[in-house]
Amino acid sequence: MAGAGAVAATAAVAGCSSNGSMMGGGGTVAPYTDADVLNFALNLEYLEAQFYLYAATGSGLASTDTAAPSGYTGKYTEGTVTVGEAAQVPGLTAAQQDILNEIAFEEQTHVQFLRSALGSAAVPMPDIDLSFFGPLAVAATITTAATGTGSFNPFSSFDYFLVGAFIFEDVGVTAYSGAAPLITPAGVTSGYLTAAAGILAVEAYHAGYVRTSLTGRAIAAGSASAYPYLAAANLVEALRATLTVGNSAAPSTDGSVETLLVLPTSVTSPSAIVAADPTHAVGFARTVNQVHHIVYGSPTVGVAKGGFFPNGTNSIFATTTA
Amino acid sequence: MANQETQLLDEIITTSRRKMMTFGAASLAGLVMAAAAPEAKAATASYSDSDILNFALNLEYLEANFYYLAAFGTTIDKANAASIAAGGPSAGIPITGSVGTAGTVSGGSLVPFKTVTVGSYATETAIEEGKHVLFLQSALSTAAVAQPAINLGTSFQTLAAAANTVTPAGNIPASFSPYASDDTFLVGAYVFEDVGVTAYHGAASLLTMASNLSAAAGILGVEAYHAGLIRTTLNYLDPTGSAGLVGYTTSISNLRNALSQAGLLGVAAGATSYDANPDDYGIATFTTPKGLGAGGSATAARIVDANPANVVAFARNTTQVLNIVTGGGAVNGTAAVSPAMGVFFPAGMNAGPNGFK
Repeated sequence: MAGAGAVAATAAVAGCSSNGSMMGGGGTVAPYTDADVLNFALNLEYLEAQFYLYAATGSGLASTDTAAPSGYTGKYTEGTVTVGEAAQVPGLTAAQQDILNEIAFEEQTHVQFLRSALGSAAVPMPDIDLSFFGPLAVAATITTAATGTGSFNPFSSFDYFLVGAFIFEDVGVTAYSGAAPLITPAGVTSGYLTAAAGILAVEAYHAGYVRTSLTGRAIAAGSASAYPYLAAANLVEALRATLTVGNSAAPSTDGSVETLLVLPTSVTSPSAIVAADPTHAVGFARTVNQVHHIVYGSPTVGVAKGGFFPNGTNSIFATTTA
Repeated sequence: MANQETQLLDEIITTSRRKMMTFGAASLAGLVMAAAAPEAKAATASYSDSDILNFALNLEYLEANFYYLAAFGTTIDKANAASIAAGGPSAGIPITGSVGTAGTVSGGSLVPFKTVTVGSYATETAIEEGKHVLFLQSALSTAAVAQPAINLGTSFQTLAAAANTVTPAGNIPASFSPYASDDTFLVGAYVFEDVGVTAYHGAASLLTMASNLSAAAGILGVEAYHAGLIRTTLNYLDPTGSAGLVGYTTSISNLRNALSQAGLLGVAAGATSYDANPDDYGIATFTTPKGLGAGGSATAARIVDANPANVVAFARNTTQVLNIVTGGGAVNGTAAVSPAMGVFFPAGMNAGPNGFK
């Protein structure tokens, strides 16, 4: 964080000699600006917004929210969404539809808010592949764990939607925690960090919703076998742990960056709604590399695309370096 | 900040995973530093980071005792079989400190939980809030304040009555007790959790050292998980509002909003002015101010307590938080009152000479 001279979001150059280390100890990372950090977050918000909007309405972001902004001079071009099986989730109760509407609205607003904060520096939406849930679930061995046959489809039912949402939300929380340190002191003064903190809390509310729903519906079902979606979510966690291995020696374990859901069996046994360090109950953070490993579905260092982003994120951090 | 972060980074890289987490949280807190909450005491205060963390510790004493009593039937300084079985410490959590003498907790009792859902959530939250007390005590070391006197009994009836006097008026029964049932426990918990989010968001903005910022910022996310948990469960139990729980949350949020607005000082006391810039929303559905995608507006739930214009969570300064947890004790007209006393803190918070109380 040597970029003490950085000014505002859109134009500054923040020379960060320690970035290579910051990114996880491995490769070289080009100097980046606060705009680059916010644009990294914007890529994730594009993905989340598209997922929730399709689930809630059957359609995605309006074109005005995905195109390059007026005056944009960057190298990225607007991508498209590979829709796959993405569609409005069928069979929702009115209350469930309201929930999907809420989260869709909120993630869409995050896209709009970040684009507004970035102005002409906002990157357009990258290519997004919403059909990646199937391969991801296969990698996580969810199809064999859950009752359903065929490929996992988060748009097929409310419970599968919860598992799909689960893929994103804890990642959103940790991504904002991990990306925040990359913002320069000038960016702090400019209020970018404020915004990110407030968005972090919102992502944690969402994660709380998803984890509470999965846990509560499993309790209502009466057993783990009667509600296989809880186990499916934990398989997602296990997959995330193996994906984020990068150059490190071993996958992260339960309690180091993930907290597995549990099925409480009595009023006196604790649930595991909160994903946090088990010693102090303090939340986790992930680096931009770890986040990219997850959304690319690849633990390999040096990968620049894949998974939900078939042509990579529109980000200076798109290539994993650790 | 930059140098601190860089140094911390190097430490992280060469040491443990545990430090990595601290790093992320520390920097997040740097993020929170620019929080928009007005700083009521910033002009004159010579407070230290310890004063800020002790402010948070007072709130954690409150929350932890509430959940411990509800889940285990005991205050945090007494471990019992239930708390130990749930993962709590085998000995009681310390409540003494360098400032103030340990106050007593009045009211509160084991909730006769009927559902695994709510009981297990209470159990989890009790353990986590207890860990927050221990964590802050550890971070503060010898500077940690003692537990203040805490009222977890009649305070809820006082707040219920107050919630019925703001505009729009609430409808919480005068006899309201959070220890009566699963449902009322959730409503009681609702009183605290969104406040925790806004308090950590706002208080962290006063911190200066990365190592201390990590404590506040890391907990911010957990409080938001808790808040999401409570609001989600209430939403499940009362999806249409017909059970009355939704109305209770609206009443409580309106009261918190009114107290918070008054805590800004200088804001006219007229109740109708409070709604100009609300910083709190109950879980009642709302119509999205913008359309979804290229479509029109939709009815949406309100699990997230955030500004609908940008969907960024709220932050509150210490006076705003004090005014909420003391039921208006922090403000007299347009002037701040210190020490603020009332409701949950009948003798005020424990704080050093430059601290927040």
